[in-house]
Amino acid sequence: MNPITYLRPGSVDEATRLRADFEEAKYLSGGHTLLPSMKQGLARPSHLIDLTAIPGLRGIAVEAGDAALTIGAATRHVEVASSADVLRVVPALAGLAGSIGDRQVRNRGTIGGSVANNDPSADYPAGLLGLGATVVTNQREIPADEYFVGLFDTALEPGEVIVRVRLPVPLAAGYAKFRSAASRYSVVGVFVVRTPQGVRVAVTGAGEGGVFRATALEAALSANFSAEALAGLSIDSGALLRDMNATPEYRANLIMVMARHAVNNMGRVSMYK
Amino acid sequence: MNDRLLKTTNPGGSPLINERLFKSIGKPLQRKEDQRLITGKGRFTDDFSMADQTWAWMVRSPYPHARIVHIDKTAALAMPGVLAVLTGADCMQDGLNAIQHSPVPSTQYDVKLRGPGDTPVFTGQHYLLPVDKARFVGEAIAMVVAETRDQASAAAEAVEVQYEELPWVFDSREAAKPDAPRVWEDIPGNVLVDATFGDIEGTEKAFAAAAHVVTFKSHVGRVTGVGLEPRAALGHYDADGDAYTLYAGSGGAVRQKRELADVLGVDQKKIRVLSFDVGGNFGTRNRLYVEAGLVLWSSKKVGRPVKFRAERSESFLTDYQGRDLVTDVSLAIDRDGKFLAMRAHNLSNVGSVLVSLSPLGKGSGLITGSYDIPLATLRAQAVFTNTMATQAYRSSGRPEVTFAIERLIDRAALQIGMDRVELRRRNLVKPDQMPYMNAVGSTYDSGEYEINMDALLELGDFAGAEARRAEAQSRGKLLGIGFCNYVESSIGTPKERVDLIVHADSVEVVIGTQPAGQGHETSFAQVAADVLNVPFEQVFIIMGDTDVVSAGGGTHSGRSMRHASTIIVLAAEELVMQGRKIAAHVFDVAVDQLAYDDGVFRCLYDNRAWTWFELAAKAAAAKLPPELAAGLRVRFDNEMHTPVFPNGSCMCEIEIDPETGSLEIKRYATIDDVGRCINPLIVHGQAHGAIAQGVGQAMWEGCHIDPATGQPLVGSLMDYGMPRFDNLPSFKNEIAEVLSPTNPFGVKAGGEGGTTGALAVIMSAVEDALLPICGVIEMEMPATPLKVWTAIQEGRKRQREKSPARTDARPEVTA
Amino acid sequence: MTIVSMRVNGVEVSREVPDNILLAYFLREELGMTGTHVGCDTSQCGCCVVHVDGVSLKSCTTLAAQVNGCSVSTIEGLANEGVLHPIQKAFAAMHALQCGFCTPGMMMSAVDLITGHGRPLTEEDVREGMEGNLCRCTGYHNIVKAIITASHEMHAGAGDAQAA
Repeated sequence: MNPITYLRPGSVDEATRLRADFEEAKYLSGGHTLLPSMKQGLARPSHLIDLTAIPGLRGIAVEAGDAALTIGAATRHVEVASSADVLRVVPALAGLAGSIGDRQVRNRGTIGGSVANNDPSADYPAGLLGLGATVVTNQREIPADEYFVGLFDTALEPGEVIVRVRLPVPLAAGYAKFRSAASRYSVVGVFVVRTPQGVRVAVTGAGEGGVFRATALEAALSANFSAEALAGLSIDSGALLRDMNATPEYRANLIMVMARHAVNNMGRVSMYK
Repeated sequence: MNDRLLKTTNPGGSPLINERLFKSIGKPLQRKEDQRLITGKGRFTDDFSMADQTWAWMVRSPYPHARIVHIDKTAALAMPGVLAVLTGADCMQDGLNAIQHSPVPSTQYDVKLRGPGDTPVFTGQHYLLPVDKARFVGEAIAMVVAETRDQASAAAEAVEVQYEELPWVFDSREAAKPDAPRVWEDIPGNVLVDATFGDIEGTEKAFAAAAHVVTFKSHVGRVTGVGLEPRAALGHYDADGDAYTLYAGSGGAVRQKRELADVLGVDQKKIRVLSFDVGGNFGTRNRLYVEAGLVLWSSKKVGRPVKFRAERSESFLTDYQGRDLVTDVSLAIDRDGKFLAMRAHNLSNVGSVLVSLSPLGKGSGLITGSYDIPLATLRAQAVFTNTMATQAYRSSGRPEVTFAIERLIDRAALQIGMDRVELRRRNLVKPDQMPYMNAVGSTYDSGEYEINMDALLELGDFAGAEARRAEAQSRGKLLGIGFCNYVESSIGTPKERVDLIVHADSVEVVIGTQPAGQGHETSFAQVAADVLNVPFEQVFIIMGDTDVVSAGGGTHSGRSMRHASTIIVLAAEELVMQGRKIAAHVFDVAVDQLAYDDGVFRCLYDNRAWTWFELAAKAAAAKLPPELAAGLRVRFDNEMHTPVFPNGSCMCEIEIDPETGSLEIKRYATIDDVGRCINPLIVHGQAHGAIAQGVGQAMWEGCHIDPATGQPLVGSLMDYGMPRFDNLPSFKNEIAEVLSPTNPFGVKAGGEGGTTGALAVIMSAVEDALLPICGVIEMEMPATPLKVWTAIQEGRKRQREKSPARTDARPEVTA
Repeated sequence: MTIVSMRVNGVEVSREVPDNILLAYFLREELGMTGTHVGCDTSQCGCCVVHVDGVSLKSCTTLAAQVNGCSVSTIEGLANEGVLHPIQKAFAAMHALQCGFCTPGMMMSAVDLITGHGRPLTEEDVREGMEGNLCRCTGYHNIVKAIITASHEMHAGAGDAQAA
């Protein structure tokens, strides 16, 4: 790993100042993507600015009337997975968090880190996009529909810090994922959300441009929220990823299968091995 | 505990083997080695450090095949902390020799592999660093030594290597073609072995007359060992004593010492190799790695100890790899289902340099499997390719040929419309045929194959499988039932040495095997304890340091328990003779007036008697004549050439979700005839791990290469699917003990049988599950969900377009 | 360079180290505690699992600086004054280790899983909960048995898993 200087600011302002001071600096949260990348020489920051010690970046709150859930950026996956609040208002999100990586990864990894990294196979992007979340930074609020731009690419400006995410509480949500035998990341993950305004379906692991909404499925499910409504639909494989795990055609099939399982498992997570 | 009555006892006839007195042998004793390993006190290579130690980092080829035009060290040498940058030219200048791997199996029981036209086998030259070309992605081209590992790594990036890219080939079938890119210019093509065995004329006649001919072709793909301890080596050159010390986990320190002495051009006495706890071997660490030589050589150059530790990504590229065999087999069968003859053509991919032909050779002697096939011919070929070298990998060569014969028989059963168990039953080698010489000249020592098979079918509840299939079907799942028999061989290096030393309170056994988790400190102590009739707790096994272990064959090919138990009892016989002489001297009686029985020396005409420990104490206090001065200590060298043939049967059930193609193992059962089982706790553990390793290859593992670029696609555990907690079931295993007549205890081997059948049994189950939709499948391992789903789509398409290739009684599952 | 201080198995330690040193190497190379192993570069294998402030994590994917001021427990601290921990006893009794390289991380993960569960574990609990650890030798069969056994000893009186 290249030499670094480790910094541990006590405030977001201090963090952004440090980030501005050092061109090659990176923010560090749980570190479970960044540190492996550094070990492999894929990332070579000069400074790591650890955000996890900043007061106020960690924690889970439910807004009055259960309208929305707010999760601090430095909140670890294990905390979301086991939060009584999350389990009460969006159990599928707790399940999603509890399905990331493994026990030790969940003890370190944070929602902010995952969302900032926007790995095309990560789970949280599907959760945020599906729920129609808002990413709150030190500068602004970004709707999830505008936030996830592409593979490992987001609407964040250099130096911008995610402070928290705000997730509207839906009528119900469900998540189903099919994992890679090796990496355990999602080959396809489908997060289905019912809201008073209609159904949102977010797909991770599959798209050439990262997480995306499956609008045809949303329309069908908005008209008739049942697994049967998905029968006869298919996904265009044109913009889907090809790798060792899956062809675009196989991913298209998995999206339909996982969507059906998510619909049948609203309130829960289904994992397919 | 022991699942089958012993049929013969004490086949070698040693007076020291008395089954009635066994206190340790056959018992599931807890391992002696565990105490240190469960408390964090293991001694793995990277746990050792030396004062003033420096770090090595390798500059590795990014190309599968490239000429090394020029290497510029200047920038790297100017980097902070850098002590040396070394290249192949430096190796040449210092007169380093290529590694002598002794790659061609050479015991009288090995099949004789020869080059094309009956020429000697060309091996290539495995220098520590190449001068001329890089021949695979990841090959070490230069080495940087620096004060810290980070500095060495950073400087390695600054070494400027000018390459000229060359055409490459990674697939063995392509490499065998005359116009393929040549890995070595020294020989006309890439084919280094081309040998044919068996009765060609008789086989052809049998095929011509057969009622049925069945064929099967497949490629058993490339995998890697993934021992969880990454390779490491710590080398030190001591200028004062002109001596080298190497810490490096391996499959046998003595071999490493010998080969390093050759490479460095120094006397073996000048090299000490220490190999203590080894974090997984499975064959990958049996052969010398270039880094072991490089740390020693560079230590002399920089005047300080040098340490190398591989990243996991380096291990994926540069650990010796396994399998990679293309097999094409056919079987001639008469109208009653009796096998008449077999033809096989096996093509082994040895990689860029020849490290071992064990996989090809071992498999060659076993192509007919557990079956009485009177005639067979085999063409065995090996080719060089631009890939990492292959080496014996758990059950070297046998899983491949077991896969071939067993899948062939499954196919034959379908083709001729006979039950697959019944077809096997009609052709299994029978106990009264033992010892049985197969059609390619291997002589199976003992075994009760049909009894094993029936016991397995009961253990796995084969009879209940169809009901389970129906139940799975009601849940929309396709259940597949896999079944196979296997026989393998254990040969290995024929020589072993033991030092047996009795102290006043302990017995030391110094031996040249090298476990990587097989529990030698325990099972060998069980043997020594019972042979000498001393407490198990007071026996200590010493291994791994060439200053103590002067000779020995290491651990591979399932040789260790057989060699150790044999040599311990033979040495103990000598030790008894030595003990009687010492006792006679100490107690002032004639030797013939001293008897030895069950651990006690007894004077025949009075009541005096001494145990081993009492005698050792007396001997230590006594002044012994020169010929007895060594005390209760013998050194014994033994050679044992005759192979043994562990065998067994396995069954598994797999559920496939036809919507996703995902597979889940629901049931896995084996019967393994290991000969005498010294410690069933350990042998069962070996079976579990061996199964997982074979299942891994069948379901998840593969060192895939991008056909467009020749680049390995697998560089980490993010890409290489492993057996895991949640993708394996608990197993049902039983041990059969049909003793081998070839050695005193009747030991066969227990470490590899689980792997040997696993490839065949998993793919048998996959085919069985998909049969109603796909008919027989041409699916190469690993059977990933993608491949299974794709096969289902294609099968359904065929079904829609026309009647299926073959009808089957079972209806397709509808979700 | 930075000064990192922590309490390791109850002992305060402090070292001046490069900022990029990982916790695993801080333990192994600075403190000489070589029981914690490193088996991969990608936080997959779990050989490096230790506890930080009572929670299991992968020390090969954590900078020592990130746990500055924390309390770290390693395999070396699992036995208490020479008395083996129930997980250690179970691993030896059930032959849940072969080469022993994965074993320290395996046991540290298992202890966290068991203590976090509140009652004895089922086979399914273990096979899911241990997903962050790989073993290449045992096929997991005996590890599963050992962890279940240890969970019963550690939760003696808490009722068995079937009743839960």
